[in-house]
Formats: sequence, C-alpha cells, structure tokens
Amino acid sequence: MDSVYVIGRDAVPSYLRLDAGESLRMTLVVPEGESCRLALEVDLDGPGASLDLAGASMSTGTEQVDIRVTVRHNVPGCRSEQLFKSVAGGSAKVSFDGLVYVASGSVHTVAHQQNHSLLLSEGAVCESRPQLEIYADDVECSHGATTGYLNPEELFYMRSRGIPEEQARSMQVEAFLSPIYNRIDNDR
Amino acid sequence: MSDILLEIENLHAGIEGREILRGVDLRIRRGEVHAIMGPNGAGKSTLSAVLAGRPDYRVSAGIVRYDGRDLLEMAPEERSWAGIFLSFQYPVEIPGVSITNFMKAALNARRKAAGLPELTPAEYLKLLKEKMAFVQMKGEFAKREVNVGFSGGEKKRNEIFQMAMIEPTLSILDETDSGLDVDALRIVADGVNRLRSPQTASIVITHYQRLLEYIVPDVVHVLKNGRIVATGGAELVQQIETQGYDSIDG
Repeated sequence: MDSVYVIGRDAVPSYLRLDAGESLRMTLVVPEGESCRLALEVDLDGPGASLDLAGASMSTGTEQVDIRVTVRHNVPGCRSEQLFKSVAGGSAKVSFDGLVYVASGSVHTVAHQQNHSLLLSEGAVCESRPQLEIYADDVECSHGATTGYLNPEELFYMRSRGIPEEQARSMQVEAFLSPIYNRIDNDR
Repeated sequence: MSDILLEIENLHAGIEGREILRGVDLRIRRGEVHAIMGPNGAGKSTLSAVLAGRPDYRVSAGIVRYDGRDLLEMAPEERSWAGIFLSFQYPVEIPGVSITNFMKAALNARRKAAGLPELTPAEYLKLLKEKMAFVQMKGEFAKREVNVGFSGGEKKRNEIFQMAMIEPTLSILDETDSGLDVDALRIVADGVNRLRSPQTASIVITHYQRLLEYIVPDVVHVLKNGRIVATGGAELVQQIETQGYDSIDG
C-alpha cells in the first residue's frame, strides 16, 4: 500500500515508527507553485522493518522547497530506500537534507538514498545534503546525488524529428520525474 | 513543384570559431541519391549538422535553399516538418522516453504543423507495426527507451525505422554504415532503397565504399578540406577504393 501525499492538499506526518516486520511505502509530491518546509523522521525499531520513500518536486517560479528526512536504523535487519527527484526553474530554491543513521549493533542494515535534481534555468538553485552516519559493521549503505541541466543533444535529436522545442523540454522533464510518477500510477 | 530540391551555394560553416566548410556548392534534384565521400575531418558531419540545423554550428556565409525556402532561417523542427530527416551518426539516448511515445509525439507534431488531425491510437499502432516489420524489429522494441542500451546496429536500425515512420522528402544518412555488420548493413540499405521515389532524394555520407554497393548513388561527390573537390559517378568510388583520397586533388 502506498500513501501518496500531495503538498498543499494533504498533511504530511512529521514522525513515523515502524515495528518488526512492518513496511511502509510513501510518496511525497510537491506540485508547481507550492512552497514548503517538510521535516520527516522515521524510526525503524523492529527487525525486518522496511521503508520505501520517494518524492518529486516541480518548482518553476519563486517557490522555496525545503525537505529534511531523517531515517534511523535502530535495530538489525531493517531496510530503507529513498529516491527524491526535483525539478527547479525560474528562481526556485529546492533543498534536500537526508540523514541516514545506523545505530551501533544494527547489522545487516540496507539503506539506499538517491537525490537527483534537474535545473531549468540559471536562476534556480538545488542543494543536496545527503548524510550517512553509520555505527555498525556489516551494513549495505549508499547515497548518491546529481544535479544537471536538460541535455542539449537530446533536445536537438527530438527537434530533428519534428517535436517543437517546448514540447521536447517538457518530455525530458516528464521522463526525469517518471520513476516517481510511475510508482504512483502502479499503485492506483 | 521544382525539380531541384536542395541547392547549396558557397556554404561556409563551423563550430566553436573554427571554419570547417569552406565554400560548399551542391545541387540535388528530386529522385536522386547523392553520395558524399571524404576522409576524416573533411567536413562531412558538419554538412549534415548544418542541414539539420544543429544549434551549436554557425554559418558564416552562403545560401541553402530547400524546396524554394531559405533553409538556414528555419528551426530544426521546421526543417523536419518540411521533410528533412537526418539519420544520426551517433543516435542519442533519451532515458525515460519510449520509442512509442517518442514517435507518437513526432508524428503528431508534424501532422499538427501540416494542419492534419492527430492519428487515432489504432492508426498509430498499425503504422508502428508496419514500419517495425520494415526494419525487422520485434514487438518489445517499441516499448524500449529511445536508444538506451541499444547495440550499434540497433541504433542505426532505429534511425531507419524513424525514417520509415516519418517518410521524409530529403534523407541525410550520416555514416549510417559505421559500426554495422553485414546483416545490419543489408537491413539498413534495404530500408533506404525501399523509400526511394521520384519525389524524394537522399544524401548518403560515408567514409567507405561498402555502403554504396548496397545503396547505388546517382551522383558521387568527394568532400575534402571543407570543399567539394570532385563530382562524378561510380568511377569515383572505384578510384577512391583503389587509389585513396590522396589521388583526388583538393
């Protein structure tokens, strides 16, 4: 079961706790025009607890989007997956702070965190601060962050087939966000 | 409708301040296939890039008339709508966009530009299947992301597939033969040959004579140091094959 939270429509919980064997799939969507400060803390407190968290933001004006996520692996054998994708244009400012904390003794932890940003203008800013704090051995943890602009080679290729420039741009933006949108569609 | 489809006069062009084409003259009539051969660095790919309207290339002098219009004034998508198609030497990967959606967007944009209604899903599907068969592509092909994870041969076949979907008036094949094994080469050449018609024309750009055994050109040009230094028929291909590009003065 996925819980989809659309910022501006739904209240997002600030704290979640998962017990042994519980799993949660959650998707956050920050639509165009919405500014927000989100802080979410998750405690994985029982073995086998599993969190699958994803988020997408689309900000093309003067929005300020600030997302902070803290995931604590407090016991052995829990899993957390995080994927956040941001599109920023105009003079929008998007920041993502993600902390994954693995407590001492939380062996066999699996934690992956990805944050990718697409900039549509010179004036937009995306900041990404992924952090791993690991105090246990025998864990599988990774994080990755990328920031880039639309690919001019792709744009030209699409235009050379007759797709107008504006449409080619929006197709690329859609493609960038598709991993998040697809999971929402699949759950419906 | 004029007999002459493309007319290039004294074209000078380059990239990043470097002049690569230094006075190209070329005239192509409907129904003709022209081969442009030349050593590496002669300007072959620059010519195709300029004709397709690549934004990073600059034209410093010259005229290009296509079907009576000033081609250099047109945006890349407008050139496509007018019937120009470039088969890329290095086809671009578009992650997250399926071939189905890519081609649907392309065809409907072209139809919109021509004042035609969008294709119905049934019409589109029929066309897609027909053209996939044309380049011997299997069912799963259309669902794949454009060129992502494709082999060299698959990328080139995908170019010819798109060409078949679009049915261009002027096709420019930029080194479509590079990196192809004989089977893929035959499929690609077959595709091109079956699209030949009295109304359309093609420019086949190649370094080697191999492709020209499969796609027989009406006219052969040799491009060297940014200029066309020789124009002739099949005998030119033979001369290059046996004596090399150095045997042709430029």
